[in-house]
Amino acid sequence: MTDHLLGLLVVIPMATSIVSVALVGRHTPQRVLGVLSIGSMLLLSLRWLMGIRGGEVLVSQMGAWPAPFGITLVFDSLSGLLICAGLVVALGCYIHGFSTLDEETERRYFHPLSQLLLVGVNQCFLTGDLFNLFVGFEIMLMASYGLLSIGGSRRQMGQAYKYLILNLVASTVFVISAGLVYGMLGTLNLADLARIVSDRVAAGEGLPTGFVAVSVLLLFVFGAKGAMFPLWFWLPDTYHTPPIPVAALFSGLLTKVGVYAMVRTFPLVFAVGDARDVVTPLLAISAGVTMFLGVLGAVSQNNVRRILAIHVISQVGYMVFGLSLMTTAGLAGALYYMVQHMVVKSSLFLCCGVMERHAGSDDLDEVGGLLTRNRFLGVSFFVAAMSLVGLPPLSGFFGKLVLIREGWDVHWWLSVLALLTGALTLLSMLKVWTMGFWLPAGPKSAARTEEPGRLGGAYSGIGLLVATAVFIGLAAEPIYEIALHAGEQLTDPTAYIRAVDPHGLIAARGSG
Amino acid sequence: MTTVLAVCVAVIVTVSVYLMLSRELKSIAMGVFLLGHGANLAIIAMSGSPVLPWGGLRQPPILGGEHLVDALPQALILTAIVINFAVMGFFLTLLIVTARKTGTLNVDELAREEPPEPTSESDSEPGRGPIAGSASRPSR
Repeated sequence: MTDHLLGLLVVIPMATSIVSVALVGRHTPQRVLGVLSIGSMLLLSLRWLMGIRGGEVLVSQMGAWPAPFGITLVFDSLSGLLICAGLVVALGCYIHGFSTLDEETERRYFHPLSQLLLVGVNQCFLTGDLFNLFVGFEIMLMASYGLLSIGGSRRQMGQAYKYLILNLVASTVFVISAGLVYGMLGTLNLADLARIVSDRVAAGEGLPTGFVAVSVLLLFVFGAKGAMFPLWFWLPDTYHTPPIPVAALFSGLLTKVGVYAMVRTFPLVFAVGDARDVVTPLLAISAGVTMFLGVLGAVSQNNVRRILAIHVISQVGYMVFGLSLMTTAGLAGALYYMVQHMVVKSSLFLCCGVMERHAGSDDLDEVGGLLTRNRFLGVSFFVAAMSLVGLPPLSGFFGKLVLIREGWDVHWWLSVLALLTGALTLLSMLKVWTMGFWLPAGPKSAARTEEPGRLGGAYSGIGLLVATAVFIGLAAEPIYEIALHAGEQLTDPTAYIRAVDPHGLIAARGSG
Repeated sequence: MTTVLAVCVAVIVTVSVYLMLSRELKSIAMGVFLLGHGANLAIIAMSGSPVLPWGGLRQPPILGGEHLVDALPQALILTAIVINFAVMGFFLTLLIVTARKTGTLNVDELAREEPPEPTSESDSEPGRGPIAGSASRPSR
């Protein structure tokens, strides 16, 4: 099906960003504009998502250039779910920022940059070819460099370089591998690539020399962006320094775009045939180490922000675990897990922001007794934390259930690791809950009892995200249904290829 | 032609890796920029030789003719150059701001100054004593 309005998901935030630059210094119009932009995109994408519940694929060819030649935007179950989740996260963080961002940060282009971040994220999720994926990445990263160094304190400067340089190197490797793919297969359109690769494997021709090397290069690129095992070192420091709404936005969107790129490209193109035998074990091992070492790192920390940041790494392990199975249900589980994780993780970060407001610090030794002082915060944090752990009625449970059951037959040791990781996640979340909320404040924090100021925006943001997290848990069936369609489309790309190229141009060009 | 390009790419990448291993942020920046150029050359090399096997050159697509140069890699490179340029601008600005704020561009010194945090920490918590810190803490 064709829907030319898909481009709006990129155009709206782009236009908002430009207008917002003109309004710098005037907070109210900027805020209204931002909420309007994110809200309208959310409504649009929810409508589209409702329309493709049956597993249809919406496609828009930019400038009406047919598939392998033009730029293709694809809104299928995979990108649809992630776009909706991403926009909910963005809306929550944005509203939260109204009451937690300081004057200085807001004046320094927070609004234009956060819209620009959404341009990049939406483009990554929508795009149907490898090079535009790179462009989307770059837009997103440029905005994130900006957001990361807003304010420019000495600490931020030191950390910004780690993130900047790693991402620049990864992006360069991405360009090189895109060039190599084009040289080998003569196209960068994902549907076209998927057809060529599967045809060659089916015909027993084998893949071109060096194809496996390109797959591994891309694994490096997406692994670095998604904070997988050997390439995760940038993440804890990066999420530790920026203002809370920015950290929450990053935790919800950035790493997930890296994982999305893997989920999109590997089953379709880069883990087919010989490449699968190389990439899948790498993914499985990396997933196990990421999960387990990540959660061990989190248990050892004593700062709420660091605990949450390192949990992001550990949770990325679950998603990669689902991907490494390369089965329909495994991919669907990974997708469901990603969706719920984006929402839950951001809401935890937002709660942490309010904790910092109350106690003046996020060090667990200095925080305490928050439950009696702020019941709403306590309940929200508890619900979000238990979703992260995966307690049955909440959203994390269903994601883990699918992954562990699906993984048991293929890699039983990974499932065991996943269960262990879950137990340790519970431990570290209970640590935050007990020391921060349940126990009375320690001697160090006795003095920190100022009124936190007006927090209406913060509560609305947290409320929105926690409500969405609960909704994802209660509505697990319909959402998993959509995720299952995504899994089917990834393991059997014929529907995807047919949607992108209804007239068979790709096939005709290949045979002609 | 492709061989020459391949050698160029190899040399550029080697130099840029050497630069990036330095402890000085300026050199690291130069290394990163060079790596971007290396990537662009690699794409050119992948687009195939402009020299036809039986002599003569491929024509630019705008002129028409039987044997055309593949224009797509060049479009990719143009995009990559623009992005590289933007990133370079941002990186250099960040370097200037860092140098003004901290007075150093050495990675070790930047890292060393981080833990004690003389400015921000002493503002918010003078003395670190049990009572001394409480009164003067500004409300956030």
